[in-house]
Amino acid sequence: MPAIELRGVTKKWPGTVAVDTVSFTVEEGSFVVLLGPSGCGKSTTLRMIAGLEDVSEGTVLINDTDMTGATPAERRVSMVFQSYAIFPHLDVRENILFGLKVRKIPATEQSERLSRVADLVGLSDLLDRKPAQLSGGQRQRVALARAIIAENPICLMDEPLSNLDAKLRHEMRIELRALQRRLGMTVVYVTHDQTEAMSMADRVILMREGQIEQIGTPDELYDTPATTFTASFIGTPPMNLIALESGSGGGVVAGTKTTVVAGKLGQNRILGIRPEHITVTTTGKTAGRRKAAPKGVPAQVSSCDYLGADTIVEATCGEQSILVRVPGRCVLEEGERVGLSWSNEDVHVFDAETGQIVPDAEPLSVAA
Amino acid sequence: MIRGIKRAIRGLAIGLFATFAYAQSALAVELTMYYPVAVGGPLTKIVDGLVADFTKANPDIKVNAIYAGNYNDARIKALAALKAGKPAQLSVMFAIDIYELIEQDAIVPFDDIVETAEEKAWLNSFYPALMGNGRTGGKTWGIPFQRSTIVMYYNKDAFRDAGLDPEKPPATWDELVSMGKKLVKKSGDKTDRWAIMIPSTGYPYWMFGALTMENDQVLMNSDGNKTYFSAAPTVQALEFWQELGDKHGIMPKGTIEWGTLRKNFLEGKAAIMWHSTGNLTTVKKNAKFDFGVAMLPANKRRGTPTGGGNFYIFKKTTPEERKAAMKLIRFLTEPSRAAEWSIKTGYIGTSPAAYDTPALKKYVEEFPPAAVARDQLKYATPELSTYQAGRVRKSLDDAIQATLTGKKSAKDSLGSAQSQSERLLKRYQ
Amino acid sequence: MTSARNIKNQVYGWLLLTPAAILLVTFTHYPAIATLAQSFFSTGTVTRPSKFIGLDNYRSMLEDEVFWQVLENNIWYAVGTIPISIAIALLMAVWVNEKLPLRGLVRMSYFTPTILPMIAVANIWLFFYTPEIGLLDQVGALFGAPSHNWLGDTDTVLGCIIAITIWKEAGFFMIFYLAALQTLPPELEEAAKLEGASRWTFFRRVTFPLLMPTTLFVLINAVINSFKLVDQLFILTKGGPDNASSLLLYYIYENAFSFFDQNYASTLTVVLLLALAVIAIGQFVILDKRIHYR
Repeated sequence: MPAIELRGVTKKWPGTVAVDTVSFTVEEGSFVVLLGPSGCGKSTTLRMIAGLEDVSEGTVLINDTDMTGATPAERRVSMVFQSYAIFPHLDVRENILFGLKVRKIPATEQSERLSRVADLVGLSDLLDRKPAQLSGGQRQRVALARAIIAENPICLMDEPLSNLDAKLRHEMRIELRALQRRLGMTVVYVTHDQTEAMSMADRVILMREGQIEQIGTPDELYDTPATTFTASFIGTPPMNLIALESGSGGGVVAGTKTTVVAGKLGQNRILGIRPEHITVTTTGKTAGRRKAAPKGVPAQVSSCDYLGADTIVEATCGEQSILVRVPGRCVLEEGERVGLSWSNEDVHVFDAETGQIVPDAEPLSVAA
Repeated sequence: MIRGIKRAIRGLAIGLFATFAYAQSALAVELTMYYPVAVGGPLTKIVDGLVADFTKANPDIKVNAIYAGNYNDARIKALAALKAGKPAQLSVMFAIDIYELIEQDAIVPFDDIVETAEEKAWLNSFYPALMGNGRTGGKTWGIPFQRSTIVMYYNKDAFRDAGLDPEKPPATWDELVSMGKKLVKKSGDKTDRWAIMIPSTGYPYWMFGALTMENDQVLMNSDGNKTYFSAAPTVQALEFWQELGDKHGIMPKGTIEWGTLRKNFLEGKAAIMWHSTGNLTTVKKNAKFDFGVAMLPANKRRGTPTGGGNFYIFKKTTPEERKAAMKLIRFLTEPSRAAEWSIKTGYIGTSPAAYDTPALKKYVEEFPPAAVARDQLKYATPELSTYQAGRVRKSLDDAIQATLTGKKSAKDSLGSAQSQSERLLKRYQ
Repeated sequence: MTSARNIKNQVYGWLLLTPAAILLVTFTHYPAIATLAQSFFSTGTVTRPSKFIGLDNYRSMLEDEVFWQVLENNIWYAVGTIPISIAIALLMAVWVNEKLPLRGLVRMSYFTPTILPMIAVANIWLFFYTPEIGLLDQVGALFGAPSHNWLGDTDTVLGCIIAITIWKEAGFFMIFYLAALQTLPPELEEAAKLEGASRWTFFRRVTFPLLMPTTLFVLINAVINSFKLVDQLFILTKGGPDNASSLLLYYIYENAFSFFDQNYASTLTVVLLLALAVIAIGQFVILDKRIHYR
């Protein structure tokens, strides 16, 4: 039984359609991330699940019950806001207990739950502080504690980490995920940061302009993107999308001669390959002999960006720029001629017009 | 070079001197005059017109006529200017401010300014009743200008409706009560038309002055240092006023608002109202029914206090300024101008000669109510005016209102007003 | 060397302050001190010059029945206007802060009384209260209520004055509440909604406490206004009948400008100032601790 199900949910505002016939299910106990660039409708979708936004068309089911018109309270979901929505005049204790007091939970149970939750999120020593006396991370924990203490099986999170600095964000990511697993919560998590999605999600729902682009596990989205949009949105740096043209033996990278895709279809095709799947071949300087041309697709180094564990090499191939991830430090001179090679297993071919994957394409390996 | 500069300076100095001398000779005297406007209407325009006529006839006197708000404001402004050392030379102020102004040593008596026999005769050319508030201690301090009395306005249609003769308004208190009972029109609990309304906010002491005079009792002596608030006829007068509402039921209970009374009358909610003659022109313009104006009814005699503003000349003036001020006052109170003023405003023509002018004669003929105020003048009495005028007046106002609202009996409230005013006036006796 | 420069800086600083200081002293400090000084002197006339009489003015104030009545009126006036106008202002602000049709028009119509001069307002209300022809009586007549002389009755006149003041002030205070409400993040209400808090609970536990700084500001204004706002008396009642609607400031005006008793007026002014100062300090001390400032 899915914890949440959306059937053809649409949100219209005068003049715009923010969310367009979105359908998906969220399994109980899973961590689902709504991912997409800003303005794609992911937050609106979340708010419709919470009941903070009316649904224009479609149905929202929570635990198999139609909740489309229900009040937020009736849905029994918790929510963590991007701004945390902490009550600034109440201390940490009162903030966490707010919902329990509203629902008139007995005092003994309140304090019992409070100490458990405060312990869980590490706020036990800060209960008497006012929000203004807390750091960003601590405030985040208050918001989290307030969501947890309600003991609702479903928790919605709207970009909860985006106001934290990079280091804290990383820590909280791990912590959040651990907490979700421990408590067995169903989490729907909105973010525009694909790293968060990749590291935390059981499933990712990628949205674009109000519609769902692709649903899948992080691996699926990474390894088998269904569209160029998915391919370019997931991964840092993103997948190379290289325009092809017809060559003598099939499709060639525009401006080169090496056949990279078999068959006649060269035009209107895009070749997608991740930077880490490309190998750079240089011409070894063999003493006394003249330099041999490097093997593979010929390209010219335009820059090297050393990141520590690896180096991102930018090479120009024909008129296009291609990124390559090279392990360790890679010293290449600007303008140096190199050859690019890859294995056909790592290559995806997309239709240039629709952006969709072409399943029956026959990419070829490029040997080094 | 240096000689050139010297010459230029000398030239400049001569030029400046010449301009100065010219200005001095062209405007021999400059007068500043404050004047108040108490009742609505385009009064400021009329005053400005009169002043313009004066400067045309007397080019050597420049007059700054400054509109200064109501009577209270005019007095405050004039006295403030006096304290600041920049006094006006003359002003129109409340006739009853006289003692206050004398005590402040702000004004001069006209007896000190008039010289010729003709001028002395001019002092006596006004209605004696209007001089009551301008004279004290045998001297004349104020010359009447915008003066009024209380008259009785009545709705002739209402009289016809009640089966009364519209040409015979009540002439006595008894008639007022008996006719009043016929004039009241009720539907169930609600009163559609009251017989009479006498305003008791704003200037209650003024209306009360009429009632006491009709009962043959004045409210104060002419030295302004004694009041007769607790005299038996005074108490009786207040009891009568109160009984109009409480006992006879021909007037609304409680106090009656000065500001809205005219509207009540014009809308037919009151068959009779007592009000200032200053309202005559407005009522004439706005009444949609046949209305009449009559003298106030008598008990032991007829009576009404006068009201309004007098001319005063300030003490801090040069002999030339005083003379020029006299000239202006005489110009503005000339019979023909007093007549014009009366026709345009409804105020009383201040001298018998004004009513003899062809213009006012014709107006009175065409509109007889305009004569009522004049004819009533022979029964008129000065308006309540004493030393410590503000406090004394307020003690009486409070007493009247306390009685009309049923808080205190007439006897008690007037008794405490009298003892209060005695305390205030002790040091002036 | 440095000290010379220091002195130069000091002089420069003082010179910069001088224009403001002159204005402040001339129009604020000097009149206040002069008022205090005047209260120890008798009112002089040309024949009887003013002289030092110590606390005599204060003594006669304590014996002045009108003063006590006016003071009592003023307390009722404050008790009547302050809580009600603040409550109405808050209610209106919360209402017009919601999405509702013609919101701009509604907001404007609530604010209109504020921009009208009090004198104009009083002139309008004068004809509401007038017996027989007034709006109040005409509406009352529709329901068969007998006519009442609202301003002519010592029992109702102060209530009438209070009603006008509330009508005039509530819209003004509403603007402050509205501004404060718009700074509250909407997520707070959403978070409370998710917890199942009713609108009333949310208002009581969140909105109202967060508006406390505004409430304090409005409260102090309302208290000051309850001593300051007397313009309507000039038009409506002149403090009558029998002082039933007279307020402290109006009584001061009467003493100063109708009775020309500047010194007694000064005495009353000193008392008024002291009372206001005590109230304001009290409000700050008592309320400040309980207010959350963001």
